[in-house]
Amino acid sequence: MPKIEVYRDALIRGIGAKKLTDAQLEVLFPCAKAELDEPADAEGIMKVELNDTNRPDLWSTAGLARQLRVYRGGDHPRYSFFSDTTVTRESGHRRVVVDPSVREIRPWVVAFVMSGPPINEAVLKDLIQTQEKLTWNYGRKRSSIAMGIYRSDLVAYPVHYRAVDPDTTRFIPLQMERELSMREMLTEHPKGRDFGGIVADFPLFPLLTDDNGDVLSFPPVINSAGLGAVQEGDTTLFIELTGTDMDSLLHTASIVACDVADSGYTVEPVKVEYPYDTPYGREITVPYYFQKPQSAEIARISKLLGRPLGADEIVQALHRMGVVATRTGESVLIRVPEYRNDFLHAVDILEDVMIGCGMDSFEPEMPRDFTVGRLTPLETYSRRVKDLMVGLGFQEMVFNYLGSRRDYIERMYPPEEWDAAAARAVEVANPMSENYAFVRPSILPSLLGAEAVSANAVYPHNVFEIGKIAEQHGADPSGTRTNTNVGFLTADRGAGFNLVNSRVSAILYYMGLEYSLRESRDRRFIPGRAAEIVLAGADATVGVFGELHPRVLEEWGVQVPCTAGEINLEGLLNDGDGSSIGTS
Amino acid sequence: MVSEATLKSLHPLEVKALLFYDGRAVFDAARMQKDLGLVLGQCNQAISWLESKGYLEESERHTEVFYERTELGARYAAEGTPVERMIQVLRDRGPLLMPELASAAGIEKKDVGSAFGQLSRSGILAMDEEKRVTLGNPDAVPDSVVRSLLERSAEAPLADAELTEAERETIQGQARKRGASTAMFRIMERENVRYRLSESGRELRTALAEAGLTGDEIGLLTPEMLRDGTWRGKIFREYGVNAPTSRLLPGRRNPYSEYLDSVKDKLVSLGFQEFDGPIVETEFWNSDALFMPQFHSARDIHDVYYVKNPTHIREIGEPFLSRVAAAHENGGDTGSRGWGYSFDRDFTRRLILRSQGTVMSAKTLRDAAVPGKYFGILRCFRYDQVDATHLSDFYQTEGIVLGEDVNLRNLLGLLKMFAEELAGATEVRYVPGYFPFTEPSVEVHIKHPRLGWFELGGSGIFRPEVTRPMGIDVPVLAWGLGIDRMALMHLGLNDLRELFSSDIESVRLRRRAG
Repeated sequence: MPKIEVYRDALIRGIGAKKLTDAQLEVLFPCAKAELDEPADAEGIMKVELNDTNRPDLWSTAGLARQLRVYRGGDHPRYSFFSDTTVTRESGHRRVVVDPSVREIRPWVVAFVMSGPPINEAVLKDLIQTQEKLTWNYGRKRSSIAMGIYRSDLVAYPVHYRAVDPDTTRFIPLQMERELSMREMLTEHPKGRDFGGIVADFPLFPLLTDDNGDVLSFPPVINSAGLGAVQEGDTTLFIELTGTDMDSLLHTASIVACDVADSGYTVEPVKVEYPYDTPYGREITVPYYFQKPQSAEIARISKLLGRPLGADEIVQALHRMGVVATRTGESVLIRVPEYRNDFLHAVDILEDVMIGCGMDSFEPEMPRDFTVGRLTPLETYSRRVKDLMVGLGFQEMVFNYLGSRRDYIERMYPPEEWDAAAARAVEVANPMSENYAFVRPSILPSLLGAEAVSANAVYPHNVFEIGKIAEQHGADPSGTRTNTNVGFLTADRGAGFNLVNSRVSAILYYMGLEYSLRESRDRRFIPGRAAEIVLAGADATVGVFGELHPRVLEEWGVQVPCTAGEINLEGLLNDGDGSSIGTS
Repeated sequence: MVSEATLKSLHPLEVKALLFYDGRAVFDAARMQKDLGLVLGQCNQAISWLESKGYLEESERHTEVFYERTELGARYAAEGTPVERMIQVLRDRGPLLMPELASAAGIEKKDVGSAFGQLSRSGILAMDEEKRVTLGNPDAVPDSVVRSLLERSAEAPLADAELTEAERETIQGQARKRGASTAMFRIMERENVRYRLSESGRELRTALAEAGLTGDEIGLLTPEMLRDGTWRGKIFREYGVNAPTSRLLPGRRNPYSEYLDSVKDKLVSLGFQEFDGPIVETEFWNSDALFMPQFHSARDIHDVYYVKNPTHIREIGEPFLSRVAAAHENGGDTGSRGWGYSFDRDFTRRLILRSQGTVMSAKTLRDAAVPGKYFGILRCFRYDQVDATHLSDFYQTEGIVLGEDVNLRNLLGLLKMFAEELAGATEVRYVPGYFPFTEPSVEVHIKHPRLGWFELGGSGIFRPEVTRPMGIDVPVLAWGLGIDRMALMHLGLNDLRELFSSDIESVRLRRRAG
């Protein structure tokens, strides 16, 4: 969720208010799904978090102010610089000519020019922040949207967009003093290291130049140090966006154009000429209004919001959200504002109606349907086993499920079994640290981990957990399965096989299960002092228990003898057929 | 005036001691041992209890000297002293030169000289013309005093006061205070204190007598007493009920899971049916089925954990795969225009660790009843740095409500009920929220009597792009609650890691706060 920095004074001015306290702002913010993150600092900059990732128009001072202003009853802004299917605005000499060579690399470019009073620090800062937020969050770290800003007065139109040889094309990038080839920029310029990967695998790299051949930029990576070095005091800026999705580019261009228009600048359209088809023809004059009207049934809005709403009330609510709506028959038809593109479905209109009406206008009411509640059979079963474990004197533990190869595998098995044990376990491909690289394949390492840090606790230690484990499992379509197991451990001078055997016997007796034991060769236990549990009438093993091998205890730094065991509860519940939860 | 509580608090040993000694008698533990026929330890205990309560006062104190056998002494007692060994060797082998004698008896040469000097003076040894050591007379025996001292000191140190004059002289020649490794005995000094009853002790003695207590009251009632009836006519010693208790280690539930169970029980009582599922999930169910576009920023490699092997599920079940893919691409038959991109059917099979409990809400839709209410408390995994407020795996509480007529107001009603029933909220505020899978979306903020205002959870009405591909045509209210904060408060903790603590002692001691 984007967090933006806002000049508080500029925001209040944009809202059209004389003065607003932070408390008043916080009452107003929810209409933009905004939250005051940090109040204004000494420089008057406050931090605001915007929660709606589908409303990039709110990620700037001007955009946020626009929503708040309209919600408070301010007029809808009017933007007269948009072209659409019926109207094409005058673009004069401002043209971008696209070369066929970019088609397979980064096919789309759109652009416009802003002019007006000399740019000051605040405007420039806001513009750069908008660029960063839009291209990082909405433009997926520049891969689908990148944006560049240039000194329009120095640009000889038309601007050319084409793909060039990265090794022979050289220019001085921003923040550097010397000329580099485009390929060198990928490794030698910080922006090249950040964003070069987007185009690195293509034989040719995209380049924007003016008609004199002077470089504007290497999109989506870096501007040139010449035309691309915008300064305070500039009065005319050329703004272009390149990317992979035309609608996202047009939408982003519209957001920036509306923002600068709201800030008192003039937006001058630019015509982009393609040698191939775009969704809106081969010539497209930007800013371009591409959104289509949306409609929602009035009855459906009322039904889902839970109270009768008339067409007028709906239209007024939408008006407060900056959306122009009209009634057509049993529906309302909306014109999507130029700076928005988040109406995918009629329900998206519904939400604006909800916010426009105000949350307070909807009285909470309980659902009337009668339904029967129940726990899962496994949960009910687990609780019975928990009761028995507690009755046997065990303390219940709750553990994390992620851990290290060392804890889950190497400390448990002798080295010759490590690879096989790791091959059965579910490993994380992208662990944040080796401490969280495996899903636990057993509860025993968790219990030993507790024992290892608890030598100060009065003995005996009797601990258990009922929880999940995961392991690879060829029979499931996902190749893995999740099991719910009970694991238990006793650490005490004299903890031995007989006692743990008696306890297992008590658990299975009270769970009403007939079973037999067979000697286990599980190497976590002392040979000859471990047993597998097989339920009557079944073949599969549902559990194992015994005296933990001193090698295992030594690995964990445990200096008290331990017995332990683990039983699969799905196995018990299903009378030993060992079924468990698959991922399908 | 001596209170009844004071009388009751006395141990039988104290009672016996108090009754036996009158105000004039002076005694110590050794004396009491003889007088009362107890073991020394009991006497020491009785004296220490009585003294600490001020019933005894010191009458006199003097230093007593004891002789404790050293390791060397113990070895000599077992193997013989050098003198004993020299005499034995000479008796066995006849006269020997000094060096021969030393090596045969296993004694340092220099020690043989001094031992010989000592023994020749007392006539036990002599030297013949050939400078050989011989026995002074054939029946010469070593000093039996040393042997006796060595043996008597085996169990306990010998008191100086109990030695004869000869013994005292001998032992003093063989004992050192410090550096006793070359001597047979170590000298120790002990303070011996003798007591008599203090004024309050005398007062208590009178009170005991008046109360008729003897110290022979019945303590433990035994099966034998019940069998033979000897308890009849006896007085039972009254116990001090405020005596400190000893610690027990009971079998016990973990308070965190107990809390989770209480939330489950509450939801069940409200008509919700529990769901559960695997911790290894697919991109399809974890995100695609929830209408999160495959390019969504929250689906980055740095937000979910991918499974290393196997990497993909074999296939995603139909018709769900086709319907969800269509919803993403162009809306399919959901009434949406979709996200307008080409749905990746390989990526959707990718296996990951479940990152949000909403997965199971979506899966449950496949065969959910209408009307229906479902919930789950599910372990989820996030790619987060672990600290006091973030865990790499944790529980999420999620649920859904399906019904022909459920609506936003019902959603608010549910949230209000959760706020009041589960969180004890005093005020509830609803704020528009954003989740990729709900529209409209609402966050619920509550004012808790102790925690103040905080966000209890998120909710909304599932988008048709989520429900229709699962075959559901009625509205579905979806909600998720952040109950960890309440769990922490419930247990008096302030670090999420503590909920999953491995420390057995701290888990044993943990209990509900307030």
